[in-house]
Amino acid sequence: MNERIRRIYVPMTESGFYILFCLQEPQHGYGIGLRVKKLTGGEVTIGAGTMYGTLSKMEKDGLIRFFAEEDKRRLYLITDAGREVLEAELKRIERLYKNSRGECTDE
Amino acid sequence: MSKLYARIFTIADYEEEEDWLRQQNQNGLKIVKFTAPCFYTFEECEPQDVIYRLDYREDADTDEYRRMASDFGWEYFGQFLGWLYFRKPAADADVNGEDELFSDNASRAEMAESILRTRFVPVALIFFVCVLPNLYNAVSGRMGLLSGFFGAFFGIMLGIYIYLIIHCGRKLKEIRDRYRN
Repeated sequence: MNERIRRIYVPMTESGFYILFCLQEPQHGYGIGLRVKKLTGGEVTIGAGTMYGTLSKMEKDGLIRFFAEEDKRRLYLITDAGREVLEAELKRIERLYKNSRGECTDE
Repeated sequence: MSKLYARIFTIADYEEEEDWLRQQNQNGLKIVKFTAPCFYTFEECEPQDVIYRLDYREDADTDEYRRMASDFGWEYFGQFLGWLYFRKPAADADVNGEDELFSDNASRAEMAESILRTRFVPVALIFFVCVLPNLYNAVSGRMGLLSGFFGAFFGIMLGIYIYLIIHCGRKLKEIRDRYRN
């Protein structure tokens, strides 16, 4: 992962994380919104502007790519570079979770 | 019956513009057309609480964005110099976060930053590099009998311009920093 991408995306915003996480399967903006709502029991909602802005930025930075068009909606899918970012982020979140429960991170 | 209003909102006053359009709709006036530079055409309607939101996108693929916004319940009703106008009845936005286009501070700050970068900075630069020196030349040069008139005219323009630069610059930075961590 290059330095610029690391600086921008690790750590990620909450909406950024959920969007990238959901794109492990092909999905369009509205579909991601619904999925996130369901996953979080309605605690996290992503606005249309935040969704559109995040998707176009991630596509430009090569974290996701255009997958197909369906009924005028663009479907996106995570790329290898995106997976790398997601992995780094998941590791960080796991560490936070472990540490918050009093466990130490293994060497 | 339609009504024409003239009202100036600068590039830093988009939150005020949203509030104003919402108030008009609550008073039974629904916007139908925006005409440059500052004319709003309204149509009489049943008073209704409708949320108005503006987004600024310099290079938006508006087809994709419009489609997405309409999925999220926003009606797109116009575009002006990079500004995109959306609205949604307040009754459809009672769940948390659905009354806004931007759901986190990072994207709110980013919008202010993008207006600063693509609209404010170029205009301020043109002013200081081109307008100001030429103005000085014109006023200090020989304009004969008209120099008094031109002097007053340029003086007023200069005042307006400087006010706008200070007002917009400060306010956009204030909005950006309010949302920036």
